Amino acid sequence: MTVNIARQTRGLYRRRQLLWTLVRRDLHVRYASSPIGYLWTIIDPLAMAAIYFVVFTVIFKARSVGYQPYVLFIVIGVLAWQWFQLSVTETARALIAEARLVRSTNMPRELWVVRVVLAKGIEFVLSLPVLAGFAIYFVAVGQGHVNSKLVWFPVGLVLQFLLQVGLGLLLAPITVLFTDTSRIVRIALRMGFYATPIIYGVHAAPESLRTILAFNPMSGVLEAYRAGFFPAELNHRAIVLSAIVSGVLLLVGSYVFSRLEPAVLKEI
Amino acid sequence: MKPVIEARGLGVEFYRSRRRKRSLREMVFKGHTGAPIDTFWALKDVSFDVRPGEAVGIVGANGGGKSTLLKMIAGVLIPDEGRVTVRGGVAPLIELTGGFLGELTARDNVYLAAGLHGLRKRDIDERYDEIVDFAGPQVAAAMDMPFRHFSSGMQVRLAFALITTLDEPIVLVDEVLAVGDRAFRERCYVRMENMLSGGRTLFLVSHSEGDLRRFAERGLYLSSGSLIADGPIDEVISQYNADADAAS
Repeated sequence: MTVNIARQTRGLYRRRQLLWTLVRRDLHVRYASSPIGYLWTIIDPLAMAAIYFVVFTVIFKARSVGYQPYVLFIVIGVLAWQWFQLSVTETARALIAEARLVRSTNMPRELWVVRVVLAKGIEFVLSLPVLAGFAIYFVAVGQGHVNSKLVWFPVGLVLQFLLQVGLGLLLAPITVLFTDTSRIVRIALRMGFYATPIIYGVHAAPESLRTILAFNPMSGVLEAYRAGFFPAELNHRAIVLSAIVSGVLLLVGSYVFSRLEPAVLKEI
Repeated sequence: MKPVIEARGLGVEFYRSRRRKRSLREMVFKGHTGAPIDTFWALKDVSFDVRPGEAVGIVGANGGGKSTLLKMIAGVLIPDEGRVTVRGGVAPLIELTGGFLGELTARDNVYLAAGLHGLRKRDIDERYDEIVDFAGPQVAAAMDMPFRHFSSGMQVRLAFALITTLDEPIVLVDEVLAVGDRAFRERCYVRMENMLSGGRTLFLVSHSEGDLRRFAERGLYLSSGSLIADGPIDEVISQYNADADAAS
């Protein structure tokens, strides 16, 4: 299995220039086709954050489910989840969507997956100024807090990237061979949203669910993102578990991808 | 000199009627257990060598495995049996506009598609004018238009111009030796001849006897996935014609 991943990484590294070309093309198409292209990157998650804020603080009055300030708490969760969700939906279709190119050009085919994760990742990074804006505002009004655990933020980025590459490598070939995969992915993502500490913190979940939540690799990722903005103690266990789960998924994904590659090429 | 293309016992098995692409519903309701899988070998036990600079034409009836063989040499299909070794890069004139995107301008598309085929930005800058020139004045005037506004003829002309400027030592052609209108077609032929005299290796699939005789020296005859004949193109074409006449 590790042999596969070493070979795949070498292949991708050799074609890194092409990878950037494709990523730039994705961003170009996304931002050139709409006059307020960039705003769409942030309007969507902000609208979701606003909905959750109203529902959970005004209607349910459940202020204790997240850390304070709760708005900042959900904005981090919703932004990161948007990257996850877009990346998983689109990597699952990565080979089908580019069937013409996959059929006509010989290049490491893992590229089609990594390229989506990267392009969506850059959009995520571009949406971070919004997060910074909220953080600065809350610090200015004395409700917020920023500390040195902010160094965990890039760790979260790397973990989330690897996790999504693993999932993408796993899902992309399966979607080609079994047409229903993308529907299943859609449902799984909707469930995953609530099985991930986005609108609530792990501490708010009952003890019995906490163990299950800990095995959700996105728990650790969000933990790493939030560490610098909230005084709560860093949950190392969640981050380590997330790294392990992501690593295993990456190995499995890379193995499945190379096993199914010949069948995918015949089908596509 | 080592052969540039080396095929050994090449075989690939396909599923008839796209059985692999079953839906979840089918899997759940019909069960996934041992339904007899109907397969056929699109290629079976095909072996040959191609030396650098050779021009090889593939003949055979539809479904004989010609395009499949070409795809395997291009590396966009992986054999189930045997192997094919290709020494050097490949310029595939297979799905010409495959790397082009409708929303982008033609100029962006040239950079993108050339990048997909491994050219660096610097190399593309150098060749840009040559590519556009070859595609013709009509195309040159519209390079800042979205690619989808091009007529289909203009699209293939630009794509043909681009792929044939790649310096790859091996050129694979699947029925698209000449595209566009009559005037442009003649320029395609001239360009193919220049490429050949420049020492490129040509691998050509065609149903046009004229094209085959004009460009290829050697012929491979594929029938139902097997390599039946390998020899001088004229002999191979006569054998194919004799078989086809006998069958009809």
